[in-house]
Amino acid sequence: MIDFIQYAFDGFLIGLLYAMIALAFIVIYRSSRILNLAQGEVVVFGGFIVFQFATIWNMPLWLALPLSFICVIILGFFIERGIFRHLIGESLFTNVMVTIGLMIFLRGIMLMVWGPAPKLFPNIVSGVPVNIGPFIFSRAILYGGLLSFVIFFVFYLALEKTRWGLTMTAVAEDPVCAQSLGISVKRSVAYAWALGFVLSTIAALIFLSGQSIGFLASSIGLVALPVALLAGMESIWGAPLAGIIIGVGEALCKAYLDDYTNGTMSEAFPFIIMLIVLLIRPQGLFGWKIIERV
Amino acid sequence: MAVLPCGVHFSAYKEAKSFLHTPYQWTSLIILFIFLLLLPFILPAKLVSMMSIMAILLVVVLGLQITTGLSGQINLGQSAFMGMGAFATASLAINFHLPFWLSIPGGGLAAALLGIIFGMPALRVKGFYLALTTMAAQVLFPLLILNLPSSWFGSSMGLGLEPAKIGSYVIQSRTGLYFLVMGGAVIMSFFAFNLTRSRTGRALVALRDNDIVAEIMGVNLFYYKTLAFAIGAMFAGIGGGLWAYYLRFVMVDQFTLWNSIWYVGMVIVGGTGSILGAIFGTFAIHGLEELLVTLGPWLSEAFPNLGGTAWFTGMNVVLGGVIILFLIFEPKGLAHRWSVIKHSFRIWPYPYL
Repeated sequence: MIDFIQYAFDGFLIGLLYAMIALAFIVIYRSSRILNLAQGEVVVFGGFIVFQFATIWNMPLWLALPLSFICVIILGFFIERGIFRHLIGESLFTNVMVTIGLMIFLRGIMLMVWGPAPKLFPNIVSGVPVNIGPFIFSRAILYGGLLSFVIFFVFYLALEKTRWGLTMTAVAEDPVCAQSLGISVKRSVAYAWALGFVLSTIAALIFLSGQSIGFLASSIGLVALPVALLAGMESIWGAPLAGIIIGVGEALCKAYLDDYTNGTMSEAFPFIIMLIVLLIRPQGLFGWKIIERV
Repeated sequence: MAVLPCGVHFSAYKEAKSFLHTPYQWTSLIILFIFLLLLPFILPAKLVSMMSIMAILLVVVLGLQITTGLSGQINLGQSAFMGMGAFATASLAINFHLPFWLSIPGGGLAAALLGIIFGMPALRVKGFYLALTTMAAQVLFPLLILNLPSSWFGSSMGLGLEPAKIGSYVIQSRTGLYFLVMGGAVIMSFFAFNLTRSRTGRALVALRDNDIVAEIMGVNLFYYKTLAFAIGAMFAGIGGGLWAYYLRFVMVDQFTLWNSIWYVGMVIVGGTGSILGAIFGTFAIHGLEELLVTLGPWLSEAFPNLGGTAWFTGMNVVLGGVIILFLIFEPKGLAHRWSVIKHSFRIWPYPYL
């Protein structure tokens, strides 16, 4: 029983991490209608920037972290200016494809600058695990989980309750209409990417703290996709719920089913959920159902 | 509208649908075929192997072009379909001792089946949701192969297979393999070109351009969307079968999501929706890759302070950059550029018509 609860709690906390990456994805989607397939690369890229400041240039963390965040925000604006500004009003197909290009591009840059071998990521929080009663938790993941609730709340308020957030939502619903009402689509897309990069970097800090960082870590972005889809691509509060469902399910599969399936069930679980969601309820748990008119 | 060569005019639909109109075009095609036949005897061995790999990739990319470019169904699982074809081909050859001319189409059919299964959601969802289903196919495929009994698909050990045979002649030499895969590529290109001007091809284009309108006009969406996936996956499967006979060893690691993404890149650079574009894209991207691999050691000697691996990994930056630039500045790809050049030659010396 203790084991079961431990597995479930681990899954719960990992799920919140997935949810945070999914949130980065959702923020970009609901403010610019761009499905960012490069999400995993964005997370690792943020991680590498922190690595560059903290380890290679040997800065203390209180200096390295703010600098990295400034850096990724600039990068987000840069991506909007360089790529997505030219594609406003283009078809969905083009927008999906360009994120594939971005994915290859970012990975190439990571490989060129930091090389293919995994590197040791700095300890953001101490690596000593926390004991709560009979349970043991990784400190980074536990604090990350607590932090993530704050982040979800802030993003919920910012995107659903402020004028600024609502203009971004309007852009997602219909860019042409939003533009004609005087909302700057360009600015909305730029903010979306900056926020997406910031969230991804926070996720990278939690995910990679004290671990090794390499370009292959981007596969976490692949797990965040099913989470975002289950949540509904527009829903902020859906993300933690979906993250928890997928995280706990995956952890329990890993604990109890992997022995019978050569350790593949836990890997397959999020994608099986994704296929089921796509077939039964494509808009996810709390997404907007969009009715198409000719 | 296409500018036709001087003096060509049609009096029947059949003529208007044909690709080759003038004796000059026929001659060029025949010269191309003669060149392809002589190629292994005139080019150095390394280039022949490169052409063989390109021919295999071409078949796969043609399939992706049909699913994604022609029918507008985003597919990020082409490499999984190719893998399915390769494994099915190898399994048929090993377990049932089928000759290659049966096992490769068998692999194509197996891949088509997988394509149908993962293409089915296309009826309910579209656009990027479809990208996600096919991506799920790509992630689930290796897990499926690894969990099936190892006598079927070799599990994690992979499958090694006997070389293809025609009668008593064993296709094992570089030249023989070149003819095998190039023959496959030529036949599949022929199919692909003809598909675009058939009733099916037009239905596929209709559902790409606007599927609701297509349905109203009487195109059966379920049938054609599934068909788009089936045909695309079948091409991938055939490509996989050729791959299996070319390398004579198949393993799950050869068919990754990353490969699928590269195939999408080839389609974009070549030009979405054009069969000729698939050919251009494959040759341009793979040629570029080979060029960097060849020049890599030389470049790292010339600029040693950049490190040895930088040039190989630089390929990703180049490809990613090329895809983005093409989408922004030339969304119709190389095929469009080619037709622009061709037209300007045809109407020369006038600047435009």
